[in-house]
Amino acid sequence: MSETSTAAGGISACSITLQLNGQRREVEVYPWTTLLDLLREQLHLTGTKKGCDHGQCGACNVHVNGTVINSCLSLAVMHDGDEITTVEGLSENGELHPIQQAFLDEDAYQCGYCTAGQMMTATYVLNSSHIGDSDDAVREAMSGNICRCGAYKNILAAVQSTRGKV
Amino acid sequence: MTDKIQAKIIGASKPRIDGPQKLRGEAMYAADHHLPNMAYAYGVFSTVASGTIDHIDLSKAKQMPGVIDIFHHDHFPDLYRTPSSFAQENKVDETRLPFEDGKVYYPGQFVALVVADTFANARAAAYAVKVDYSADAEPIATLSQALERGGEPKTAKSSGHSRGNPDSAYESSTNRIDVTYVTPMETHNPMEMHASTASWENGDLVLYEASQGVIFARNVMAKVFGLAPERVEVRSPFIGSGFGSKLWIWPHAIAAAAASREVGRPVQLVVPRQQMFTTTGHRPPTQQQIRIGADDNGKLTALTHDSINTTSMVDTYVESTGSCTKSLYDCENLRVSHATIGANHGTPTSMRAPGAAPGLFALESAMDEMAEKLNMDPLEFRKANYTERDQSMDLPFSSIHLMEAFDKGAEKFGWAKRDHAVGSMRDGDEIIGWGMAACNWEALKMNCDARVSLRADGTAYASCATQDIGTGTYTIVAQAVSSITGIPLDKIEVELGDSSYPSGPVSGGSWATATTLPAIAEATRSAIEALKSYAIGDGGAFAGAKADDLSFDDGKLSDGDGKSVAYTDVLGQLKLANADGEAHTPGAPQGEYSFRSFGAHFVEVRWDPGISRLRVSRVVSAIDVGQIINEKTSANQVEGAIAMGIGMALFEATEYDERSGLPVNNNYAEYLVPVHADQPDSVDVILLDHPDYAFNEFGARGIGEIGVTGMAAAVANAVHHATGKRIRELPIRLEQLMSA
Repeated sequence: MSETSTAAGGISACSITLQLNGQRREVEVYPWTTLLDLLREQLHLTGTKKGCDHGQCGACNVHVNGTVINSCLSLAVMHDGDEITTVEGLSENGELHPIQQAFLDEDAYQCGYCTAGQMMTATYVLNSSHIGDSDDAVREAMSGNICRCGAYKNILAAVQSTRGKV
Repeated sequence: MTDKIQAKIIGASKPRIDGPQKLRGEAMYAADHHLPNMAYAYGVFSTVASGTIDHIDLSKAKQMPGVIDIFHHDHFPDLYRTPSSFAQENKVDETRLPFEDGKVYYPGQFVALVVADTFANARAAAYAVKVDYSADAEPIATLSQALERGGEPKTAKSSGHSRGNPDSAYESSTNRIDVTYVTPMETHNPMEMHASTASWENGDLVLYEASQGVIFARNVMAKVFGLAPERVEVRSPFIGSGFGSKLWIWPHAIAAAAASREVGRPVQLVVPRQQMFTTTGHRPPTQQQIRIGADDNGKLTALTHDSINTTSMVDTYVESTGSCTKSLYDCENLRVSHATIGANHGTPTSMRAPGAAPGLFALESAMDEMAEKLNMDPLEFRKANYTERDQSMDLPFSSIHLMEAFDKGAEKFGWAKRDHAVGSMRDGDEIIGWGMAACNWEALKMNCDARVSLRADGTAYASCATQDIGTGTYTIVAQAVSSITGIPLDKIEVELGDSSYPSGPVSGGSWATATTLPAIAEATRSAIEALKSYAIGDGGAFAGAKADDLSFDDGKLSDGDGKSVAYTDVLGQLKLANADGEAHTPGAPQGEYSFRSFGAHFVEVRWDPGISRLRVSRVVSAIDVGQIINEKTSANQVEGAIAMGIGMALFEATEYDERSGLPVNNNYAEYLVPVHADQPDSVDVILLDHPDYAFNEFGARGIGEIGVTGMAAAVANAVHHATGKRIRELPIRLEQLMSA
């Protein structure tokens, strides 16, 4: 079932082009469709999770042109031409990305539901020169990503052990 | 199991076998399923706390794009209630069915359900449904309102306990305290919102449900729809945790399944975050009076713990705060009692360490208060009242290492350096407070079935209906199979979380490990016996031998004469796919021991009075839960529980407006939970690792809950040590510390 199946009140869908996980994708979206709902409901890329739909939890974080955003707070139509990376685009050639390997090694999760968002923020943090490299700086920068299981200690260890590898 | 095998794999620090699926985004949670022709449901939730629905105006909503149907109390199929029996495995906490009638018992109650072709269309139409209510003018929104005008509390007889003469012993005690503690409503808030994806085929229901208990969920749905259980399948291979909120079926799952049957299409329903505060359970607020009597040597002479919590207007849920009090310390004269009183809330439910988490906040705070009154070190006061016997059951504990937990925790923390005077320890602008508390949780074990196959391709397969809710069950099941067969973890496939698999326990109460692993082990041994029977038959690798003369080790079948054949060859030679074993293992042995887990938290807080900042800076926790199965996932459980305990101590409270009866902070920004920046500088978890073989063959008692017990008290006690303020109402708020 596609999000575009029914037009509302004469409003028509818009065609946009994304560079999604390295592939060019043309999609039809209604103006009210969030980037998160586009990914999950239309494209069935369900690795990106919905935890609150209000920008409060970070589970839906993805990269847009190299910056991490809450995909639930961003309308899909605003992303025409944008380069978007989701958790499905992290690994290359079947190998785990260094941040994925570090999360595995450090047991930086429990239920796994916030994990995609944590990793997307983590890779952004590790590549951002304006964010310090201390534990405190990483904790501050990642505080928009809630882990209700409380695997924070291991997430921090995973992020710090990936430093210099991404 | 042999000691040699255990040393290799049981207790090892292994990465999760399901880790790569989670890390690649491939693990499928309940709302990740997109079935062909699937429709979406979105709820309309009551905006009054109590009253009656006068009229539902659907005129606008029905005209909205994509709308398929709109259900409400005048348009919903007749269903049956579940008997809600734990023994029959069909328990729920909210027994009332969705849309049963036009009455509203709590804000956030389902009053209508829109089904449309897309999520966005369903939500838009739900927003356009207009409901008129006759609202009660004075809803009961809080425990204090309930106590003022909620009528007579209901005593919960079955969970009470009394021994000796607690009241008279208290009155005649040399040293006495009589204190009351208050804990707030807490909301579980697992990261994954509750979700149901339901589909029917030929009258059979398949339900992907975010569930901590697929067997219970299957049985409930069968009861509700009047079906044989075999006609319902509930799947929950991955769940974005639950902390108790996903133990039992809630109204949304019934609504989704009924809607799917009515519209003749698969239906997906996700409970919005806001309504996960209202219609999927919560930890109820409590008020707990504790009286302690002690002699001048610090021996307890009397202890009473009388508690009341709110429940809903339709069901009774008891928060058994005295469950630890009755056996943690040596005291001949003791009473615990529980009562409930109705409020306009959804039905409460178990939240991580139900009873114990709020109960030990009260008891372990009170123990600190009494230690202060006696001018004793709070650690020494607890040690002076240590017992190895559960006086409430009149049985010895099967295994108790609480003294070691006290000593190892204290040593690692540096407790001996504590200056007991309030506010005496400083570091620059910060006042340091050190507090401690004991932790305690019951060890439980249920019936369990399991199936294990040794497969000709060199792999093994294990299945059980129990779930992995993030605790690491997939991995420890593989470890159990490996411990007996020698097959490496990466060759063991484990399938969990499906009601069509052999019956397994709910993932709750910290009993999944102790329940599931013995069944897996028994099934593994049974598979080995099947393999032997093939090997000794005609054409087998050991044709004519006796099964008893064969042994299985490290993937090979051997006789006593030096012949050894890989099990894959035993099967291959006979063109057999596998050797299967099934098992059924019973609950915990009764009557000889009391099975409980123990531990101690040591907490450092830092209070900066200049900027009114309080933080937890250091935690050391020593935990006695029997054998550790996986060091990595076990430590993670305790660390996560410590984080949740910090939340309970400093942040978490679901607030209701006493005028309207409506929740005011029911979202993930205003209901504060701990985030990365709230984490202590250091958290050290010491796992004592003393196997409890009286409990089960693995010696494991489970580890999910215990870390959250006692944590809020340890923080509150540290806050008292730093500030001199005794905070008896959670969460500890800055304004309480700033007031004179």
